[in-house]
Amino acid sequence: MLENAVYIPWIAALGAVLCGALCLTPSMKKLAGPICVLSILAGFGLTVGSFLNPTFENDQQQQVQAPWKTHGTYALDDVAIDPHSHEVIHADDYKHPAVVIQPQPWMHVGGTAVYEEVIDKKSGHPVLGRDGQPLEQIVGYEGGLQINYGYYFDGLTMIMLLVITGIGSLIAIYAVGYMKGDPGVARFFAAMALFIFAMTTLVMADNLVLLFLGWEGVGLCSYLLIGYYYGKDSAVAAAKKAFIVNRIGDFGFLIGIFLCYQHFGSTDFSVIFNHELVTTKGAALPLGVMAIPFCLMVGAFGKSAQIPLFVWLPDAMAGPTPVSALVHAATMVTAGVYLVARMMPVFDVVHLQATISPLTVVAVVGGVTALFAGTIALCSNDLKGVFAYSTVSQLGYMFLGLGALSTHGAVFHLVTHAFFKALLFLTAGSVMHALAGTLDIRTMGGLGRKMPVTKWLMFAGCIALAGVPFTAGFYSKDVIIAAAWTQGIYGDGGTLYIVLGLLALITALLTAFYTFRLWFIVFTGETKYEMGDEHHSEDDHGHDDHHAHEPHEMPWWPMNLPLIPLAIGSAVAGVLLYEYHVIEGLIKASSAYTDAAYSETITMIMKIVSGFLAVAGIALAGVFYYKTSDRAEKAAELLKGPVGILRGKYFIDEFYDRVIVRPLFITGQVAYLIDQLVIHATIMSFGWAPRLLGKTVQPTQAGKLHGYGLGMIAGVTAVALLLLFLL
Amino acid sequence: MLDVLQPAGLQLAALSQLALSHFLMTAAILFTLGLVGFVTRKNLIVMFLCTEMMFQGVVITLVAFAMFHNNVTGQTFVIFVLTVAAAEAALALGLVVLMFRRRRTLDANAWAAMQG
Amino acid sequence: MLTAILLFAASVLGALALVLLMPRPGRNLRPLGALIGVTALGGAWIGVALGTDLIRQLAEGALGLPSVAFIYYYVFSFIAITAAVRVITHKRPVYSALWFIMVVMSSAGLLLVLSAEFMAFAMVMIYGGAILVTYMFVIMLASQNEPQHEDDIPDYDRVAREPLWASAAGFLLLAVLLSIYYAPNSVQANPDAAMPADTDLIASHLANRALSEETAELASSPSSSPTRLSNAERVGVDLFEEHPLAIELAGIILFVSLIGAVVIAKMHVPNEDAIARGTDTPDERPEGAV
Repeated sequence: MLENAVYIPWIAALGAVLCGALCLTPSMKKLAGPICVLSILAGFGLTVGSFLNPTFENDQQQQVQAPWKTHGTYALDDVAIDPHSHEVIHADDYKHPAVVIQPQPWMHVGGTAVYEEVIDKKSGHPVLGRDGQPLEQIVGYEGGLQINYGYYFDGLTMIMLLVITGIGSLIAIYAVGYMKGDPGVARFFAAMALFIFAMTTLVMADNLVLLFLGWEGVGLCSYLLIGYYYGKDSAVAAAKKAFIVNRIGDFGFLIGIFLCYQHFGSTDFSVIFNHELVTTKGAALPLGVMAIPFCLMVGAFGKSAQIPLFVWLPDAMAGPTPVSALVHAATMVTAGVYLVARMMPVFDVVHLQATISPLTVVAVVGGVTALFAGTIALCSNDLKGVFAYSTVSQLGYMFLGLGALSTHGAVFHLVTHAFFKALLFLTAGSVMHALAGTLDIRTMGGLGRKMPVTKWLMFAGCIALAGVPFTAGFYSKDVIIAAAWTQGIYGDGGTLYIVLGLLALITALLTAFYTFRLWFIVFTGETKYEMGDEHHSEDDHGHDDHHAHEPHEMPWWPMNLPLIPLAIGSAVAGVLLYEYHVIEGLIKASSAYTDAAYSETITMIMKIVSGFLAVAGIALAGVFYYKTSDRAEKAAELLKGPVGILRGKYFIDEFYDRVIVRPLFITGQVAYLIDQLVIHATIMSFGWAPRLLGKTVQPTQAGKLHGYGLGMIAGVTAVALLLLFLL
Repeated sequence: MLDVLQPAGLQLAALSQLALSHFLMTAAILFTLGLVGFVTRKNLIVMFLCTEMMFQGVVITLVAFAMFHNNVTGQTFVIFVLTVAAAEAALALGLVVLMFRRRRTLDANAWAAMQG
Repeated sequence: MLTAILLFAASVLGALALVLLMPRPGRNLRPLGALIGVTALGGAWIGVALGTDLIRQLAEGALGLPSVAFIYYYVFSFIAITAAVRVITHKRPVYSALWFIMVVMSSAGLLLVLSAEFMAFAMVMIYGGAILVTYMFVIMLASQNEPQHEDDIPDYDRVAREPLWASAAGFLLLAVLLSIYYAPNSVQANPDAAMPADTDLIASHLANRALSEETAELASSPSSSPTRLSNAERVGVDLFEEHPLAIELAGIILFVSLIGAVVIAKMHVPNEDAIARGTDTPDERPEGAV
């Protein structure tokens, strides 16, 4: 079954091509949504199939089971599978079991080609060329950089695939309803399917270069989808911003890949993870290897919107809401987390050696970002903005988890976050849809009466995000917070990690507060709303006559129904995955596994504390915002200064504008002036000479046949004269 | 090819020796007259006639060279000259008729769209 | 030197003659022009004779009676040049075309003098027979009615355009061309002037003529002076042995021009005068814009 998993990206790619082709046929545009949904659903089916039945035939025609399955049967130490030969071997000989399927030669740089005679399959004799010599073909290379197009399967890959295709198909179904009647619907779904292709390629890649291909692919799709409403200047600007900020991160990523090749001689994960530099703990490392995690980290921070590269994500909400849910909350932004988790062996080994541990840096950046973005979300009045900053904040949690060596906590949070953040974004999309594009929550109130289903769906997402006990967010967040404290108290983290744990707890309180602040403002209190001016569903579900006047509940199919699994997931996914150690087990069967300190006591205490903080945050929000009250304004009056700063989002955008964008812009202007006055002018002066010449001889071109005839005679005569007198 | 001009068995005077130059001169004169006609005449048809006349000059030159230099290729090329002349006559005259239908005149000066 | 001067003077005279002969308003100076023209032609011939040492041989009494070919050359040459002058000086295109037939005929005669009989007949057939007939048709098509009176001839036929400049330029070219012919290094014999013997040709190219009885006879018959090829045969051998690609290309050119002629003939062309008067509608097809 597992060998079929390689088709997952390509089904999505086929869907993208079909949807793209539908762009050309206006009458068939409606089909784009279903095609996209089907292609993602097919991927989901394959993923589930390969997850549950991960057997495949190795080169010796033996049925072998992938590591996450064998792990359930045997102890991990006993058995592992060699990624390339697919043989069952002892884990002592091989680290990080995984299955690499169909590594096809893709690119080769440098090295010397190895030739082999072409053998005729039927006769078994060498094939002779025209000159009678045996034909030779290149069968491989010695040395140089060989990059394969292969797929790498381990527990981490499977988790990511399940999230991407599972949540992706639910969001795609919702998007069919959300985008109904939009003129660019085929373009939208083409980009969605392409995104799924790129994202699955990213998580299935068996080497860093192929991963980078997916990485840039999702970046491209993100750009296309943020700029989907390309008529709006803000959307275009946001798309460009996202693209450019991500390029800064990608620069670091690329340097990391180069360094990997330089020191490990390959970009294949299985080679890197089994390289002696990585497997030998405690040995002295070259400076270049030390730099690898830091470089990769920069890429991860860019993609996952961490300080200082987080500025693009809030703006990215200019795209359609399903995009925000899928790309900018559930999947793409977690690619950074995935990258760090995937490269954990390298991080780990450098962690043991470097003066400044890369994991500490990850943890600090994650913890600070979590708090930082959480505070901005407190005072944001933008419906999607709150969730955007919340996403940044939750991603911060994930990085904190990675930094605290709790990879499974980070991935666990990634999974639950995908559920509830997708749900929150989609319900926010429903609200926005009902109000024809309004996003300012100050103009909303009491919508619960108009949209009861949405209200309770969003409630499910909110309690999960807030970390109310026994919801998904509670368990996953808790693992991370506990890991930070444990690392500080029992591990080698020291005080720094305790501070980070404290930050995480404060963030938990803030999260609960801003989440329910939003929910109370939008759905409770007196009914008030202002309709926006967006009519992105003119011919939608048959009651557009009062659509423009009054908000209404979304139809069950295809919009509310796909939210039900998400809501259920938000509620119970946490407890199921936690109690049955699903994520933990899968992570153990992957490269992301780390030996982290674990303390039952601290976990218990943190559960109680964070559960209490969540309830407290909700209560606090209730005090200020349940029903309409003026307490919030009074409090804001009291805290004018901080609130101003928070409303201004710490003026980070303005800061970047002053410090980076403006100087660059001025430099560009100067360069442009130099170009115009010096280079352009010089070039143009060359251009003027023939133009002047042309002006002078233009009158001779009278258009009369005789003139040309006379000219020809003169020319021939001149040539003849030359011949006569010169030769 | 002097033996052609000098039948066997008859001792002819040198004056009967026609030089290559004779034919070349006639050809050159024909060519020049065609050229002058092409430039001076305004009638499109006559202009094309003049180009054909230039071909005549070229044909005589080619054959004369072929004969005096003992090389048949010169004559062979006359065939191609004829080909080009026929093609040119077919197309050019067709165009002339079109132009006449359009402007009701054969004056070459009526067509000056190529003015720079 | 004398040759060059003579030829140059003849050229100048010829130009003058042509200017006088050109159709133009005002006094009719054609007889004078004709006189000067004949003088110029005579001068040119004398120049050529000087250049080829004929005169010197005449003075030394080394020359006997002129041969037939010699006379024919002068006759045909004179007719050709006179007819050519008439072609470019006649006010009526129909007569120009008729005079042109004369040019073709007499140049065919010149080719006969050169013993290129195949070329001569090809010229007569294709030029005189095909091309000139086409010209006549077009002339008929493109003139509203046969002018009865001198004044009925359109202006563009009645008045030559810049005859002075054109004649000057043309005859300057002529003078230069003739001078080149007599430039010291151009009168040398062609070192490559060695044609393969007819026997060689037959041996190499026409060895398989046995397939056709007549040609086999021609090749082997002892009665025909030993292995002598006709002019047409030589041209044929050269054409098909040395220039097969050129023949194909010539065929393609003819084919393309055939298609082009058909397309042009079927093209609808609006009459611009009629459009101006509003009795015809401009053609909307872009290819109509000839």
